[in-house]
Amino acid sequence: MATRKKVLLKVIILGDSSVGKTSLMNQYVNKKFTNQYKATIGADFLTKEVMVDDRIVTMQIWDTAGQERFQSLGVAFYRGADCCVLVFDVTSPGSFKSLDGWRDEFLIQASPSDPDHFPFVVLGNKVDLENRAVSSKRAQQWCQNKNGLPYFETSAKEAINVEQAFKTIARNALAQESDVELYNEFPDQIKLSGGSTENRSSGGDNCAC
Amino acid sequence: MISSEEYSENMEEAQETDISILVSDVNNIAIEESEVNKSISENKPLPSSSEQSNSYENLFDQLKGHNKHIFVLSTAGKPIYTRFGNENQLASLFGLMLALMSVTQDSNDTLQSICCGRTRIVFVNKDPIILVGVSQRSEPYDQIKKQLIYVYNNIISTLTLTQLKKIFLNRTNFDLRRLMSGSERLIDKLITFTENDPGFLLDSISCLQMPSNSRDKITQTILTECSKIKNLVFGLLIAQKHIISIVRMKKYSLQVSDIHLILNLINSTESFKTAESWTPICLPTFDSSGYMHAHISYLAEDCQACLVLLTIDHDLFFTLSEAKRKITEKMRRNDCLQAINDAIIRQPLSLARANILGLRHLLYKIKNRSQHWCPPFTLPYNTDTLQQNLMSVYCSLISQMNFPGRNLKVIYQQLTSETIVAWATDEVELYMCFEPMVSKECATNAVTKLTQWMKKEEDSLFIFNIPMF
Repeated sequence: MATRKKVLLKVIILGDSSVGKTSLMNQYVNKKFTNQYKATIGADFLTKEVMVDDRIVTMQIWDTAGQERFQSLGVAFYRGADCCVLVFDVTSPGSFKSLDGWRDEFLIQASPSDPDHFPFVVLGNKVDLENRAVSSKRAQQWCQNKNGLPYFETSAKEAINVEQAFKTIARNALAQESDVELYNEFPDQIKLSGGSTENRSSGGDNCAC
Repeated sequence: MISSEEYSENMEEAQETDISILVSDVNNIAIEESEVNKSISENKPLPSSSEQSNSYENLFDQLKGHNKHIFVLSTAGKPIYTRFGNENQLASLFGLMLALMSVTQDSNDTLQSICCGRTRIVFVNKDPIILVGVSQRSEPYDQIKKQLIYVYNNIISTLTLTQLKKIFLNRTNFDLRRLMSGSERLIDKLITFTENDPGFLLDSISCLQMPSNSRDKITQTILTECSKIKNLVFGLLIAQKHIISIVRMKKYSLQVSDIHLILNLINSTESFKTAESWTPICLPTFDSSGYMHAHISYLAEDCQACLVLLTIDHDLFFTLSEAKRKITEKMRRNDCLQAINDAIIRQPLSLARANILGLRHLLYKIKNRSQHWCPPFTLPYNTDTLQQNLMSVYCSLISQMNFPGRNLKVIYQQLTSETIVAWATDEVELYMCFEPMVSKECATNAVTKLTQWMKKEEDSLFIFNIPMF
């Protein structure tokens, strides 16, 4: 086995604008919350080290812009994600309805090898507010229909469930990451094709010895 | 466009995407694109969120202490290598690099370089990996790009291109560090080599100076043994940074960049000195699809020259081990070991012997052999810093001389602390460093005189006989 000490997980956070993606991330990484709203431009990146089942894992968190005008990040942005976090605002039915779109968008852009079992985690944020509009049951139902995605109700403001949610995110991503067979078999032997080496060299006038 | 850059006239700025970047802290990065209309961003820097960025600031202070960085990441944005600092802690920065590549790709464009102030950032996309160089050393774009290609080649040399592609084809999220552990050190050393060695600038190798009849005898000894072995492709004898001898299979030749990788491997691996080794190595320019197998050993306790025998056959260890034993025995009998030791100990040929007024230092390259001679540094270049400055001067001069499409023959430049001359003929490239205030006429005479002198010395400075079997 190769060294198991270094693990880095790419986690992408998606959801409508102002559902609290950046706030969740800040609460998780920096233990901070601010009521001020500041639109994410393009993308933000945060890094956090966590222990998951005796392994030190580095979470590379890719926070994205919810606002459409800041969104064109390109296909490459989503490539190779280990986990995708879908966030909605429990006081905003519209943001909940958008989850399907975000999920599809991710699957199309990232095109993971096994889309049916790709680890998504769903977060219903802002449970500290009183004007709740999306019930727990409705959200859980949606997750159930998508192959039983883990669902957490969170408050970035009150730091409710944030730690637990990200722990699950890390664990599920790790499960995805670690089942790698190692590629230690040698590639095929080089064939000496006789005389074709003149074309083999790429360096133009760079002469050979 | 980039204006005041020292080397800007040499660069094809037009082909670079011109993006200036405003960084308040790593969490709040706004990208302002001036010319290209594909904005992912608004043109206002965000207020920095004070406390949370403290740890990042420390991290970036560390990085700022160095004026040259190389980063390697996967096309998923996962870190693979950083020259300085810990790549885990820099994970956010790697994400940003990928984001920059990604937005430009999305508009069917390729991000090649970013200039901001004295800092030049160069991107090379070798899907499935991306290499990024950040330099504040006023290096030409081509130079940084070439360094990145060297680092890329080093990664290929440990994995092969076939395997690299296969790994990422199946899983784009693969953490390549798992297969790279141990080779980071080789990359560190290789980058240092690209910064200090004239061979990198000139695309050439340096030969161990020795009488040509001794060299021929050594080469013949190696050739005799090697020619008997099926599937043996190359044999090299190396003394530190210098090549003593090369033999090769008919129709196959070794490219300079591959030799540089071999030299780097040998000079970075102490354990080769104590045990004969058998190691797979992919030579990317020769064939990036598979491994060559290298038998690596120093000739004897009392002769520290390293013999490298390269074959395509992974079962050939014992055959090559036996061949090496015979080569050493024979060399001992016909005094070749002694000749090598003498050559290693001997004071290298000094430029002072040419007795040319005002000439301080030079690089002399034989073009069709891809070999160069770099005389020892003497006053006033007696410290590392001064030597590095001189190398930067050469780097710029070489870059100007070889700029695609220009076809220059002579460059004469008076700088503040030296006068430099580049001189090219069909056979030779000369890069000379004179005292300041040396006239053109004086420099021209020096070239003539030097050329005559070199005719007498070149037999011992270069390898003219690379036989085939």
